[in-house]
Amino acid sequence: LAEILNLCDSQQLSFVLNYVSPRLKKDPFTSLPNELCLRVLSFIDDPKTLARASQVSKHWHALLSDDLTWKKLCEKHSYRRLSGTFKSWQYGSMFGGSSKFTSGFNSEISPPATKSKRPKATSYKSHFKQRYMVETAWRTGGKAIAIHETPDQGVVTSLHLTPDYIVIALDNAKIHVFDSEGNILRTLAGHVMGVWAMVPWGKTLVSGGCDRDVRVWDMESGECKRILRGHTSTVRCLKMSDHKTAVSGSRDTTLRIWDIEEGVCKNVLVGHQASVRCLEIHGDLVVSGSYDTTARVWSISQGTCLRTLSGHFSQIYAIAFDGVRIATGSLDTSVRIWDPQTGHCQAVLQGHTSLVGQLQMRGSTLVTGGSDGSVRVWSLEKNSCIHRLAAHDNSVTSLQFDDTRIVSGGSDGRVKVWDLRTGLLVRELSSPAQAVWRVAFEDEKAVILASRSERTTMEVYSFSPPPE
Amino acid sequence: MAGKIILQSNDNASIEIDRDVAERSLLIKNMLEDLGDIDEPIPIANVNEAVLRKVVEWCEHHRADPPASENDDTDARKRSTDIDEWDQKFMQVDQEMLFEIILAANYLDIKPLLDVGCKTVANMIKGKSPEEIRKTFNIQNDFTPEEEEQIRRENEWAEDR
Repeated sequence: LAEILNLCDSQQLSFVLNYVSPRLKKDPFTSLPNELCLRVLSFIDDPKTLARASQVSKHWHALLSDDLTWKKLCEKHSYRRLSGTFKSWQYGSMFGGSSKFTSGFNSEISPPATKSKRPKATSYKSHFKQRYMVETAWRTGGKAIAIHETPDQGVVTSLHLTPDYIVIALDNAKIHVFDSEGNILRTLAGHVMGVWAMVPWGKTLVSGGCDRDVRVWDMESGECKRILRGHTSTVRCLKMSDHKTAVSGSRDTTLRIWDIEEGVCKNVLVGHQASVRCLEIHGDLVVSGSYDTTARVWSISQGTCLRTLSGHFSQIYAIAFDGVRIATGSLDTSVRIWDPQTGHCQAVLQGHTSLVGQLQMRGSTLVTGGSDGSVRVWSLEKNSCIHRLAAHDNSVTSLQFDDTRIVSGGSDGRVKVWDLRTGLLVRELSSPAQAVWRVAFEDEKAVILASRSERTTMEVYSFSPPPE
Repeated sequence: MAGKIILQSNDNASIEIDRDVAERSLLIKNMLEDLGDIDEPIPIANVNEAVLRKVVEWCEHHRADPPASENDDTDARKRSTDIDEWDQKFMQVDQEMLFEIILAANYLDIKPLLDVGCKTVANMIKGKSPEEIRKTFNIQNDFTPEEEEQIRRENEWAEDR
């Protein structure tokens, strides 16, 4: 054979090459049993390649429909498991539209293209596809589905997203309630001065502020169901531990435990020497942070102080508590980690150069934001800083993170999305404003409250894939 | 312990190798543990001489590697698609041989070799268009134009990033 080939000229050789080379090629997916084909595919973690491979032939298409490959891909991209991933949104369709232009709002609402409930993903492939499209939208896409310019010039003091509502509170005594898509439903009027704290629970909202009252509202009807009196100064923080128990912290140095159904104060927690600035609840325990530089652990059922956490040199502005650890952020620029059982300080996290006013803890990850404009990601296993993000020119006013991203808002008017794992900037969301008051997000939605042209504006961004 | 083992391919070739080399194959290792010392050749029913010699070559080179961990689905295995240089060279064979090696590694239960083989195939697929993949493996496009268009649209979501 070699001798024959030696006699050939290059034209003949290239004929031989073209003749022979396809014969040396073989479809791996018909040569190998399916389990090995899937093993090959398990080494490909790029959905683009997989999507293209499914277009090669019928056999490849069938192999790539195998859900195991997509399940693994979901795991690699750490997309949450299939079951229970998609909330069935309930839309306040009864209210949408009709009351759109009440109370002086100037609003732009996109047509409700996604009103219909998205069908539940039935396979890992479709699940992966949906998650992937959402992730892509978070990186480069997304659209503003609602923009409101409120008649207020107020400072937004509080923002909550619930499955049914977007609720905002302002320092001008108003509370605005929107449906989950950003259509204005109603304004809760009753407070006579700034609202500085609120907490939603289902259809119930509990709020408090400068007028010292704690009010209980039905967000569905807009009715104020209770006015709870007792605090002798501004109510600064509020949390709920179950459907009928609310805990408020006040500048009068006390915390109060309320039964909001009975409308009575169950206990007054006395001990702090200055304003109670922040509180968090886990189980029967309340932890509170105060301007007296200490934090305290209280029992709700006993109404007593269990422990005092001393160590900060200056006012405490932020607190987080997950039952395992307590984290506090202070004007002394440090963050401290405490053991709720013993009250011992386990770590002092140094790095911020100014007040630490923003703090969120998830598992062993802590993210903090400060008046120095930086956002820091900490590992609570090593008690060390993992990422330092030069986030904003001025104070970080708002901060939230989940498994994949951090969203921060600053008094420089910017909203930034960060990759939690790498600490790199993913994008800026929306156009720069005068100041960003609050930002909050969910899987497929972000809400920004900012000051633009001396007006308070709300923008709702959607990252949902278009309906099929 | 450092005895010699004779493997016999399905086309009756005998290959003599060190026992620790042969034990890269969990199939052979388990067999030897069950049988104790044996002098007769071990028949490898599913593998021909050419492929068996390649597999033995790989086992010789990797004889000192730490044993594969029990939990073979560790993240490290999944994440790394890079193949070390020697293995890359080793895998520069025609496709028929490549697939035979994968099948043999699977049959003989040599996980690291199986993974190198699968990664090699995966790397041949990565970043290619459907047409390029067809060319690479000489695959007939058996879709009708309508089907092809529909499947293309189904998969459009993965393209825009």
